[in-house]
Amino acid sequence: MRNSLLIAVREWKERMGSRSFILFSFLGPLVVLGLIYLLFAFGGQNKKHWNVLISDPANIFDNKILVQADEGITYSFADGYIEIDEFRDGKKYQSYDALFELNEKVYTNKIGHIFFREAPSVRIQTMAKFHVERRLEEIMVDEFTDFTIEKYRMIKQPLTLSFHDVFDPENESKDLLGWAGYFYGAIIFVFVFLFGMTVLRSVSREKSNRIVEVLLASVSPNQLMLGKIIGVGLSALVQFVVWSLIIGAGLYFMRENLFIDLLDASKMDIIEMASQSGGQTYQDQMYAAYEYNEFVKLVYNKVDFGFMLGTFLMFFIAGYFFYGALFAAVGATMGSESDGQQFVLPLVILLCLALYSGYYVLHYPETTLASVLHYLPFTSPVVVMVRAAQGYGDHTYEMYMSLMILIISAFAMLSIASRLYKNGILQFGHRVRIKHIFKWLKKT
Amino acid sequence: MLEVRNVSKSFYRKEALKDVSFKVSKGEIFGLLGPNGAGKTTLIRVINRIVEPDSGSVRLDGDIMTDNDLIKIGYLPEERGLYGNMTVQAQAMFLGRLRGLSKKDVNAKIDYWFDKFGINDWRKKRIEELSKGMAQKVQFICAVLHEPKLLILDEPFSGFDPINVELIKQELIEMRAAGRTIILSTHNMKSVEEICDRVVLINEAKKVAEGKISDLQAERKGGLYAVRFRGSMIAFVNALWTGFEVVDKDILGDDKFVVRLKMRGTSSFEDLLKVLIGQVQIEAAWEVLPSMQDIFIDIVQPVEEVSDEK
Repeated sequence: MRNSLLIAVREWKERMGSRSFILFSFLGPLVVLGLIYLLFAFGGQNKKHWNVLISDPANIFDNKILVQADEGITYSFADGYIEIDEFRDGKKYQSYDALFELNEKVYTNKIGHIFFREAPSVRIQTMAKFHVERRLEEIMVDEFTDFTIEKYRMIKQPLTLSFHDVFDPENESKDLLGWAGYFYGAIIFVFVFLFGMTVLRSVSREKSNRIVEVLLASVSPNQLMLGKIIGVGLSALVQFVVWSLIIGAGLYFMRENLFIDLLDASKMDIIEMASQSGGQTYQDQMYAAYEYNEFVKLVYNKVDFGFMLGTFLMFFIAGYFFYGALFAAVGATMGSESDGQQFVLPLVILLCLALYSGYYVLHYPETTLASVLHYLPFTSPVVVMVRAAQGYGDHTYEMYMSLMILIISAFAMLSIASRLYKNGILQFGHRVRIKHIFKWLKKT
Repeated sequence: MLEVRNVSKSFYRKEALKDVSFKVSKGEIFGLLGPNGAGKTTLIRVINRIVEPDSGSVRLDGDIMTDNDLIKIGYLPEERGLYGNMTVQAQAMFLGRLRGLSKKDVNAKIDYWFDKFGINDWRKKRIEELSKGMAQKVQFICAVLHEPKLLILDEPFSGFDPINVELIKQELIEMRAAGRTIILSTHNMKSVEEICDRVVLINEAKKVAEGKISDLQAERKGGLYAVRFRGSMIAFVNALWTGFEVVDKDILGDDKFVVRLKMRGTSSFEDLLKVLIGQVQIEAAWEVLPSMQDIFIDIVQPVEEVSDEK
């Protein structure tokens, strides 16, 4: 064990000192943070300024509508009736993005139609609806009541029907949470693959520069392989901790400094907000809530980071040993470093299969295949993360069962890999043949 | 010290070692010779426990070797390498510690050897910055850092310039004097003659010769003698009578020659000297023994070379 530890420390130091490791440790989380920032700042937001032409032949709006300067919509009024074809093809209408058709029926059926050239974002739709509703309220109050507009808004009691899944009464959006799990699972696989490839390269490099023979005169092949997997794995763990710290600090910084308003909005319930009356603050909040609620809520409120990180670590470590042993065995069986090229494709296919299985389970979490993938060691790290995030992890015995299978498989893979490693590590310059692999597996 | 007893090893259908046995005594430099593919590297790997024999055993100081004995062995393989991106100091520290030394001990040994080989300036250099010869020196130091009782060197002189070859030879001679045992596998027969006490010759997986170099030479000497003299070649030939046969000659100068000849019948070396004295000026005369190269070729040549060494 002492020798495995020495090998592990050497591998660890080598990784820690390499430029690519340092770059990936710091640039990787910064890129992720940048993407999160972009999603926060521009997620679903269409920055395009919209010109909306209101066709109001009955002059219901009296050419008035209250719009804030920074809201991204400019309304213009046309007195006459405009045909859709005319609006679509007419030269003078090309500068307008949408046509809002308004007629007297609106008093009774409360229906307005907007014809657009390009689909508007949710934000634009929300704003347009809000502006028109407000203006219509003013007109209705003026035409049919003696109330002031404030009084009217106070007594107005809109009914919002909120739909809830009987299995998910909290409406925790399984899909979105599933994506969070998928993200974790994908991170596991990306890390396992990257560091698995590091193990493979390290083994094949030791073979090609022949130091392996010096090492094997001091340590057994098993000790060498285990030390290598542990050392590279430790550096992966360090990298993950650095990632977590930087991303965690970045998210905290963003919440405290960059997205204060948005995040305040995220804490409000959109249904409650809809029942409130108010001026522009409410309006702003509502937009913000519509725009950012799901993602911001997901990141800051919904994801149980403690549980997810715990699950992540368990499956990451077990999954890494499983795949690390596989990669080490592949590295040991290679005749030369260039042989690695031919092994990359099947390994990438394996990676894609695992990632796709996570995607599949995200959409069909309760199928038999999903359960199989949940227990299959090749796919379980990503699938379990998805299902855990979706709430299926509440059946913890399933999760621990999957973990147990993965751990047992990791030991089995280590045992198989050690045979291949032992018999293949001193074979140089040969072409890898399946019969060799079977012979090496048979030999003790 | 080391006993290889009836060791056999096959790789699939190819026999790499067939019932090989020999003993190496404490404090001797033992040459392990053989053509490419003879099985030397396999044998060295068996001794180092890198490869397990199919049958037979290796004993160290009378006991069957175990993994715990590995720290008593220093090994410099033929196809050796180092981690290119590690510094010389870190490399030596890593390999020294793998051989069971503490950090403190490794540091002390590093100081000693780096001073001795005059490579203190290299400590912080990465291996990839060193020339092949420089890296060879570091590899040699790494192999002997833990002061092994048994040192196994596979082609230790390859890649070295003549000065460094001499340096390594002197080191080996010093180690022998200090009671260490050295197994030397090399194709450099001149070095074998110079420093090896005994040799074993392996060909086609089998031991084909073993013994002291002088004994092997004596076994294969062909009754050939050489005389170096000044004077006339005609006078030299005329002085010989039918009891001697000139085999060949080297002309060293206008009146200086080396002549190799064989005795006929009952003629002796003394008879030869007697007939020559007074005829030519004898500078030296000696019995010509076969070189290790000759012995090697003599034993190996009838067999075709096998290049695929496992």
